[in-house]
Amino acid sequence: MIEALRAEWTKTRTTGGTAWLLTGAVAVTIAVSAGSAAATHVSPQSGQEDPTKLALAGIYLGQAVIAVFAVLTIAEEYDTGMIRVSLAAMPHRLILLTAKAATTTALALAAGILAVTGCLLVGRLMLPDAGLDPAHGYPLITISHSPTLRAASGSVCYLVLIALLALGVATAIRDTAPSIAVVLGLLYLPPLLAQAFTEPLRRHIEQIAPMTAGLAIQATTNPHSQPIAPWAGLGVLTAWAAASLLIAALLLRLRDA
Amino acid sequence: MTRTSASPLSAGTPERTRFTAVLRAEWTKFRTVRGWVIAPVIAALLCIMFAYLVANGTHTDFCTGAGNCKAGHPFVPTGPNGQAVADSYYTVGRQLTGDGTITTQVTSLTGVISTAMTNVAPSQAQQTRPGLAAWAKAGILARPSTRQGSAYAAVMATGGHGDRFQYNYSHDNPGRSGPVSTSSPRWLRLTRTGDTLTGYDSTNGTTWTRIGAAHLTGLPVTVHVGLFVTSPVSFQTSASGSRTLATATFDHTIIDGHTTPNAWHGQSIGARQQDFYPTLRVGSYQRADSSLVISGSGDIAPAVVQGLLGADTAASSLPFGLTVALIVIIVVATMFITAEYRRGLIRITFAAIPGRRRVLAAKAAVIGAVAFVTAAAAATVAISLGERILQANGAYVFPASASTVVRIIAGTAALATVTAVAVLAVGAITRRSAAAVATGIVVFVLPSIIGSISSGGAVQWLYRLTPAAGLSVLQALPRSAQVDYPYTFANGYYPLAPWAGLGVLTAWAALALGIAAVVLRRRDA
Amino acid sequence: MNDAVIEVTGLRKRFGPTLALGGVTFTAPPGKVTGFIGPNGAGKSTTIRVILGLDAPDEGRVRVGGHPYQDLRNPLRHVGALIDAAAVQPSRTARNHLLWLARSQALKAGRVDAVLELVGLAAAARRRAGGFSLGMRQRLGIAAAMLGDPPVVILDEPFNGMDPEGIVWMRKLLRTLAAEGRALLVSSHLMSELQGIADHIVVIGRGKVLADAGIDELLARAAGEQVLLQTPTPAEAARVLHRAGGATTILDDSTLSVSGLAARQVVEALGQSGVVFSEVTTQRATLEDVYFQLTSGEAEFRTEAGQGAQR
Repeated sequence: MIEALRAEWTKTRTTGGTAWLLTGAVAVTIAVSAGSAAATHVSPQSGQEDPTKLALAGIYLGQAVIAVFAVLTIAEEYDTGMIRVSLAAMPHRLILLTAKAATTTALALAAGILAVTGCLLVGRLMLPDAGLDPAHGYPLITISHSPTLRAASGSVCYLVLIALLALGVATAIRDTAPSIAVVLGLLYLPPLLAQAFTEPLRRHIEQIAPMTAGLAIQATTNPHSQPIAPWAGLGVLTAWAAASLLIAALLLRLRDA
Repeated sequence: MTRTSASPLSAGTPERTRFTAVLRAEWTKFRTVRGWVIAPVIAALLCIMFAYLVANGTHTDFCTGAGNCKAGHPFVPTGPNGQAVADSYYTVGRQLTGDGTITTQVTSLTGVISTAMTNVAPSQAQQTRPGLAAWAKAGILARPSTRQGSAYAAVMATGGHGDRFQYNYSHDNPGRSGPVSTSSPRWLRLTRTGDTLTGYDSTNGTTWTRIGAAHLTGLPVTVHVGLFVTSPVSFQTSASGSRTLATATFDHTIIDGHTTPNAWHGQSIGARQQDFYPTLRVGSYQRADSSLVISGSGDIAPAVVQGLLGADTAASSLPFGLTVALIVIIVVATMFITAEYRRGLIRITFAAIPGRRRVLAAKAAVIGAVAFVTAAAAATVAISLGERILQANGAYVFPASASTVVRIIAGTAALATVTAVAVLAVGAITRRSAAAVATGIVVFVLPSIIGSISSGGAVQWLYRLTPAAGLSVLQALPRSAQVDYPYTFANGYYPLAPWAGLGVLTAWAALALGIAAVVLRRRDA
Repeated sequence: MNDAVIEVTGLRKRFGPTLALGGVTFTAPPGKVTGFIGPNGAGKSTTIRVILGLDAPDEGRVRVGGHPYQDLRNPLRHVGALIDAAAVQPSRTARNHLLWLARSQALKAGRVDAVLELVGLAAAARRRAGGFSLGMRQRLGIAAAMLGDPPVVILDEPFNGMDPEGIVWMRKLLRTLAAEGRALLVSSHLMSELQGIADHIVVIGRGKVLADAGIDELLARAAGEQVLLQTPTPAEAARVLHRAGGATTILDDSTLSVSGLAARQVVEALGQSGVVFSEVTTQRATLEDVYFQLTSGEAEFRTEAGQGAQR
């Protein structure tokens, strides 16, 4: 196992795309958060806003880059045929998948921590200009506020789980383009579908869809506006990621390389 | 096709492959990969299936103020041209036979705005504060009957748009500007001559300015004429709007013509429980000395109120399914080029057809045609299927003209075509699937999601500047300058006109194609 | 139990309607180069994939050094394989490609430099593998196979894309590796490549083993001598030799191949009939001939010209 881990780590470290994609994920996340903070203008009448959630808006786009990164860690091996070399070197396929999942987790975790920290800083610096300042009853974003801490750590977990979900899908599909389409479709389409429906169907879709359920953790002010409780939502996403990896493991074991 | 390619491989080639041959080669490549042929079929089926699901998931409950809800939708009047209209107001009038003239002086126009939002029952919206809606209307109205949706012509003073002459809901002529007050009263006059109704205004009752005229074909001899007051939902303070009521004082009202002998008759139009347009309360009138004080709530204007009615359009079950279909098309378009790079087939292609830009053009033509046919077929079925199911579920389907439906179908097909070509170009530039697919999906799907979670103006800009602007072709609801309404994405309005939006997408596609052409020529295969 | 042996027993595998392997059994013994030959689509690559645990057989079993592949701890130290030279991620350098493989087998990075030196890629070690020529990729693949210094080496079409210098180098390398006592399984569809280096030949066709023997035995089993005749009138010569009891094939407009007659008999018969000829040579059976005899009728994809050449 330790050998497989070291091999996967070396692989990921020496692929040109890894650094670019992870830097890109962090940059895109922070940039979108900054952009949406700049575009926010809160008027006194517009009801209660959630500064932390606003600051973390970049996750919506950042997760796509993380997903692409996770898909590529395995799909690129299938694209080039190198998967056969990997499997000849590491014939225990579950160990290979576990090692891949571990390196993906580690890197998504690192990127997630950077991205979320950046987002919160951006929110703390920029949101007061948008009218979300202590004078209007919005304290500055701080990690010592426990719901904010929950939102921040939850968002990092969210990104990691998205990466694992993507890894599982790509292992099952074995081709870059369809894998990315399936993962992004799984993330972005259910919220759109939910919008098209009326209650209570809308709420049910949002409760079981990976993105809407998982991102419920970002709510800090009025948790009842969310379709599902924060940690329960992250649990739903965990179930998605686990199911995806389980199917991937099963197919990887059963199929010829 | 007569320009010489600067491709290094074509140098010295005496004859160039005809474009039709290149096209046939690419078409053969496309149709011989089974997955690529099946995928568009699946895309179309998914589009239709989701249109069905979305239409089926929409159930309209029509709730009265007393809290009784039943399946079905409230009553929406249909105007003379088949368009959906708002037609609710309070009128005090009588019958006029033959030609005639009505003159009146509006000496005041004031209003109140409910402090509650429109989505609460009228009974809970009675708390008000002073405020006059910009399109509050007080004036003279003539129409064949008081049936909602019938033809009309009216001259009026408004809350914030000065004097106006309007007819048949969508026609509007501006008159004198400025507000009405006791110190600055406004004289209004409406004259009927045959089928023609002409509106005038004046500040003193002696010098008249003609504002506009309407020719209402087939106007019966006897028409309803009267004074009216109405006041539309105001969106000044809240995105979901507030009910309003306006009150106007009319003086020196004179009807010159053959009228029914009976006295002025007050009548509330379109303020019943089943009427869709939110009114604050049923209007009223009272006589004080020589003047008449009328208050009314509602609007006489095109209905643009998806947000108020929750109304669906013929195309409203399409967007989700179309997004799914677009994702499939994006995947196929990407692989159509990146698969060649992955296995080195591109070298064989470029050796066989040295004009690389023509290969790109042929690929674009093939994938564009596939996308066009797929989307056109899917949209045609999805729209008619969706409309049928929405109606079966009791939902109100906004009337859309045949030309609007054709425009949406053609626009959808064009959207898919341009998207496929753009993604193909991105694939040619990056030579990798990941970038092309991810960009394609994020660009089309993310703005809709951001639109649903953020109320800010950011989403409006996304639909103006990014390729997602192409989704504007789905716009089915009309806009009207006569209605103050937040024409935002959340309310079903794209910021750009349909073809302008498609133009933005096309510009992006052209840019990508241009870069791809340059890159293909310069880069080694 | 010797580590350096591959035992393949009764492999069967079906891909949908096509029978890829119909009971393949053979052994690649230590200290020898086992040539694994057969036409395209015969099942060579499938067999190798099954040996490496990449494809699961429907029936049968494989033992490498007495163990199933899956049970090998750090398998590349037991079996080194070159299966698809193109199977590298283009953005990674040659050294880094070997480095991750080394990590997977708990090998030191020094081993990477050693094998790069062995295959002559030391100078290109820090170049991206995507820019490599086919020959360089083959060398990189050999380096990967030799990384764990394995007792068993499996090479699928190692001569593909190699320049003449590379071919000479490869042949020498294979002999050296065999001399060190390793078991080598080298697949090829070109017989001439294996002549002179293979000690043992396994011929496979349509998923079945057609021959499994030492090279000398195989050559001896092949059809007897042939005589090649250079003559301006091959048709006439053929008629004369037929009458003398020989079987002939006209190879081109001045060459005739004769079997059933010794060179001396050919010269006699032609001399008596006054047919002009310029040269008579005796040809020994080559591995190529054996191969064609064994695989005629077995090739999945054969052209008209190919069929003609097989006579």
